[in-house]
Amino acid sequence: MIATEVFRRGLSDHRRSLLGWCGGIAVYILLLAAIFPSIKGSPELSDLLENYPEALKSLFGLTGAVDITRGAGFVDTELFSFMLPLLAIVLAIGSGARTLAGEEESGRLELVLAYPLSRRGAVVAKAAAVAVEVTVFCTVAYVALALASQVFDLGLPLGRLAGGLLGVFFLALLHGWLAIATGAALPSRALAIGIPAAAAAAGYLVGGLHELAGWLDPFRVVSSFWWVGQAPLSSGVDYSHQLVLALATAAALALALVLIERRDLDTA
Amino acid sequence: MASAPAIETAALAKTYSGGVRALAGLDLRVERGEVFAFLGPNGAGKSTTIRLLLDLIRPTGGRAWILGHDCRTASVEARRHVGYVPGDLRLFDRLTGREQFDSLARLRGPVDAAWRNALVERFAVVLDRPIRELSRGNRQKLGIVQAFMHRPPVLVLDEPTSGLDPILQMEFQTLLHETVATGASVFLSSHSLDEVQHVADRVAIIRSGNLIDVDSVERLRGRSLRHVTITFAGQADEVPFAGLDGVRVVETDGSVLRLSVPVAAMDTVVKAAARHRLVDLVSAPADLEEIFLELYRENSDRD
Repeated sequence: MIATEVFRRGLSDHRRSLLGWCGGIAVYILLLAAIFPSIKGSPELSDLLENYPEALKSLFGLTGAVDITRGAGFVDTELFSFMLPLLAIVLAIGSGARTLAGEEESGRLELVLAYPLSRRGAVVAKAAAVAVEVTVFCTVAYVALALASQVFDLGLPLGRLAGGLLGVFFLALLHGWLAIATGAALPSRALAIGIPAAAAAAGYLVGGLHELAGWLDPFRVVSSFWWVGQAPLSSGVDYSHQLVLALATAAALALALVLIERRDLDTA
Repeated sequence: MASAPAIETAALAKTYSGGVRALAGLDLRVERGEVFAFLGPNGAGKSTTIRLLLDLIRPTGGRAWILGHDCRTASVEARRHVGYVPGDLRLFDRLTGREQFDSLARLRGPVDAAWRNALVERFAVVLDRPIRELSRGNRQKLGIVQAFMHRPPVLVLDEPTSGLDPILQMEFQTLLHETVATGASVFLSSHSLDEVQHVADRVAIIRSGNLIDVDSVERLRGRSLRHVTITFAGQADEVPFAGLDGVRVVETDGSVLRLSVPVAAMDTVVKAAARHRLVDLVSAPADLEEIFLELYRENSDRD
């Protein structure tokens, strides 16, 4: 199939950046895990965090089942509640924005689309390349965490770890494909970054604060973060919620496929 | 479909979303085996037409076909037969020319390597340096080779020789002759008559989105202008000539009078001149560039 070249090109163009992201997250995870033995079972830290304002605790996922002095709670707080989704989302949005809107803005898309492939074929290939990048990133994070769990005795439940990273995968891919959908609608890399980034930020705040601010509570269903949950290792993984996220992700791609056919390529 | 023309458009129109009318009902037919030149100044609608043919932008009216394939509803099939040089060529800067060719080759299917190498050699293409390090002319060469390397039956070339030195421009004209000799067709947009008059079989002239004229290069030359230089025995007097239909006084210099004369008005000019005592009369065909300008002028007057 001809679009496989677009897929290859997409991956190949982001090869170096992906390598950097993966190296970065692996090192970050190992350094973080190396700190854990010093706070393991430390009641002082638990007491300190207990006195944090509720809003902060809520944003960092320090609720209910989460005990930061145990490996699962530590990784939930330090990675799954914010840092890991953030990094994965930034990677996915950057990649999704670059591969379509960026290529159109730079004028390179014109020659590619003059070749015998459909616009939709090209978008699917580019979306697949973004999915592979996010998969690689999440896999590296899984391997690094599983390894760190062994080395630094975090005692992470590996099944929940895989489930938690699957959630991060969908969360990131949703925003990466939103970047593609934005690029399908508008030939602007800045908007293809800005719009999904704003959606992610709003999702994070609503997901983190909806319990405290009562009026926000009904809106929790529009928060992508809420559907993933903040503490997969401590509280478990709800796969039915992940399915909702997966469907939203598929919808983002479907939207991109509709939008890409509805306009002129920007060639000015 | 076997007998369909290389390119055909019917009332093809494009008004951009800002309300700019770039093309107003274009009817064209490019036959197989001909070089069809599409001439007009910048902004006339040349690139718009080409991008409509390639389905990069969508028409607001009319239809177009490449080898009988509808450019909207069967655009992938239509593009399968087209080699394209964009007017504003952008390549993947980080790749080398070789990598760019390989990537583009995979987008369409196998390329005859011997033929591609022959093209690379003819145009002295730089293959092994990243494209970002190449000059404009060297990039343009990459654009030309990628368009021809699949031996497509239809070539759509938007100002293909911009940035090329004169020797390579000649080489390019030779390539066009060879290409149409094999039965392929070339749709060549240009703003320079000079560039196309040696290669084109027919010329279409477009201005502000309207087709002004389609004619063979020969006929365009034939019905065209003459530079007439009359040297009088005494002082030149432009007055008897200035009023003649279509005649323009270019210059009066002592005893020499220079005129621009449509062929149709030649008789009256000669008869007017015959009333005087002459030393010399020279009539030379104007080049297409001037004919082109004259056509513009006529059309602007009519507007």
